[in-house]
Amino acid sequence: MRSYCFSILLIFLAAFAVQAEVLRVGAEEQFKTVNAAIRAAKPGDTIRVESGIYNENLLIDKSLTIEGVGGPTIKGTGKGSVIEITADNCTITRLKVETSGGDLVGEDAGILLRSNGNTIEDIELRDILFGIYLFNSSDNKVNRNQIFGRTELESGARGGGIHVWNSQNNLFEDNVVTEARDGMYIQTSSNNIFRRNRVFNLRYGLHFMNSDDNLFEDNVFYDNIAGAAIMYSKNIVLKRNTFVHNRGFSSFGILFQDCRECTIEENLVLDNAVGLFLEASLNSVFCRNTVAENDVAMEIFASSENNLFEQNNFINNMSPLTLIGKTSSTKWASDAGGNYWDDYDGYDLDTDGIGDVSHPIHNIFEYLEGNFPRMRIYLNSPAAQSLVAAEKAFPILKGSNEFDRRPLMRPVKIDTTFPPRESRGAAKWLLLAFSSAILGLSLAAFKRGFAR
Amino acid sequence: MELSTILPIARQELTVAIRNKWTTIFALVFGSLVLAISYFGTMTAGEIGFQGFNRTTASLLSLVLYLIPLVALMMGTQSFLRNEGEDEMLFSQPVSRSEILAGKLLGLFAAMTTATFIGFGIGGIVIATQTDAEGFLGYPAFVMLSLILSLVFLSLSMLAAIASRRRTKAFGIALLLWFFFVILYDLLVLGGSLLLKERSANYFIFASLFGNPVDIVRVAGLLSMKGGEVFGAAGAALLKFLGGYGQAIGALIVGLLVWTVAPILVSFRLLRDQDI
Repeated sequence: MRSYCFSILLIFLAAFAVQAEVLRVGAEEQFKTVNAAIRAAKPGDTIRVESGIYNENLLIDKSLTIEGVGGPTIKGTGKGSVIEITADNCTITRLKVETSGGDLVGEDAGILLRSNGNTIEDIELRDILFGIYLFNSSDNKVNRNQIFGRTELESGARGGGIHVWNSQNNLFEDNVVTEARDGMYIQTSSNNIFRRNRVFNLRYGLHFMNSDDNLFEDNVFYDNIAGAAIMYSKNIVLKRNTFVHNRGFSSFGILFQDCRECTIEENLVLDNAVGLFLEASLNSVFCRNTVAENDVAMEIFASSENNLFEQNNFINNMSPLTLIGKTSSTKWASDAGGNYWDDYDGYDLDTDGIGDVSHPIHNIFEYLEGNFPRMRIYLNSPAAQSLVAAEKAFPILKGSNEFDRRPLMRPVKIDTTFPPRESRGAAKWLLLAFSSAILGLSLAAFKRGFAR
Repeated sequence: MELSTILPIARQELTVAIRNKWTTIFALVFGSLVLAISYFGTMTAGEIGFQGFNRTTASLLSLVLYLIPLVALMMGTQSFLRNEGEDEMLFSQPVSRSEILAGKLLGLFAAMTTATFIGFGIGGIVIATQTDAEGFLGYPAFVMLSLILSLVFLSLSMLAAIASRRRTKAFGIALLLWFFFVILYDLLVLGGSLLLKERSANYFIFASLFGNPVDIVRVAGLLSMKGGEVFGAAGAALLKFLGGYGQAIGALIVGLLVWTVAPILVSFRLLRDQDI
């Protein structure tokens, strides 16, 4: 019985394969416009677009494969979306897509997906409001696309680079997004996977609303207002992502607002105004992350309960922790050990790699700062340093209850690194020139002073 | 006041200061500390993409805030106190007393600049070779701020020396000034702000920044090296209070100039009316 079914399926497939045609579009080909080819095509056909510029918006309402040869450009009319897909199982590859409309409410996008099971690959999108918009659209693959938003608009007036609304089970890999509003905006969408995407120079690298069970691996977010803002969601997994150089007032590496049961592993959170921000977020595990060179490594509201930090590295942060409220129920160590703090000054007599004295995570000045933010104006002042010295000399001043009871003596080895950006070496030469100049001046003055 | 009379006095003062072994010792100490900070601060640069800017910035700032006022006060007090032979020679010349003070101040400032430039020069070269220096575009501004800080404390030392006239008293006052501005003042302001309500406490803290040149340099230094966000919400409030980033830097520099000029003017007056 089974083999009978199978042969029927084979016959069907064979018939289908015979029927599938390739329609060519180009100046020298049968079809001069892509729309003409779409009209003539049957579901399952392939449309091959030769290089050239095609001034048209495409509405793909049957299951087709559209592939570019030699980098053709689909230049939209400037109204609505350049490519809108309403049929399932379409494939769009190797095209350049330009000039969408400018209506945020109308979802004017480079590519607007309203159907399921599509593949969008190797598309370069420019001058578009939204980049790739998934609207009620599931089981798609969106890979290796490059999205360049409209720089002439203010970031709030742009659309999302990859905008996902009410869409499940999609896969996003190796995309590049820049100059959009949010790099990847995900709302009411679950079970999506994001891997190796690169997002920079925009508002929020990742913006999340009410979307559970999503997985993020090996993505890179840099030079944004915030790396990731994850809100009202649960079971989010972040692994091996990097959140670098997200600076500005109220800027964050990763922000968690009303989230629960998230797993944050082996991420690199580097050079942000605030590295990790947690408000009203519960039961999440931060494990083996490196949080380094941030102005404030962590800002945690007391409303965040029962989170666990273990085996993370905290290195070179100006302040380790700002706690808003009196205490948090954060666990700073598990059986596997606590975290590595570069300012830990304890010892390890039994050489088990775990410090024998608890590590107070923030000093009295940093503790006061949490509830009196204005005190931060005294950051790095001798007065703040003398307060800390006084705290050590007179333990009666103890303020904070946050202790890592099993601090690690050595940093945890984590392989996540930040790939170097194209070097903008000018800063190096400027500093070198300035320094040599003042050094030369000084030496000349000394020489002259000692001359008879 | 004639520049043509001030400059030779300044040049003479600079030569004396440079030949004075204390200037060389200070230059060496400051230079090796800056070298150590910039070298060890950025030693791990590049390992996982980090550069060590925070550690370096914070340490450099602390070094400048502690050491420069102290050295400027000592150097200035030493020079502005009566030195028998030199004074007899200077005051018998056809130059005004203010010109003598201005010349000496200028010369001492040049000496401090010479001494600190060695350290800042070496430090900058180390940072530039070890990192991509992207996070250190504010370094020249920071060097300039350190210079102004030394000028402020030189003029304060001038005031201390001229007002007290006696050696022990002058050095005592200088040390007290150092302790007051570097440590005590901030503790008093911090304590005072805890007694006030939220809103007025903010204004109180922002206004009292201008009462202490060390604070002005610290805040302006962090603003130029790290940006206003380093102060978090307080930084945003400060910038709003002062009217924006540019205005804030401007206001802080004006504050420093007032701190420089005021002691100079008072010293001019005091010395004019003094019997020598």
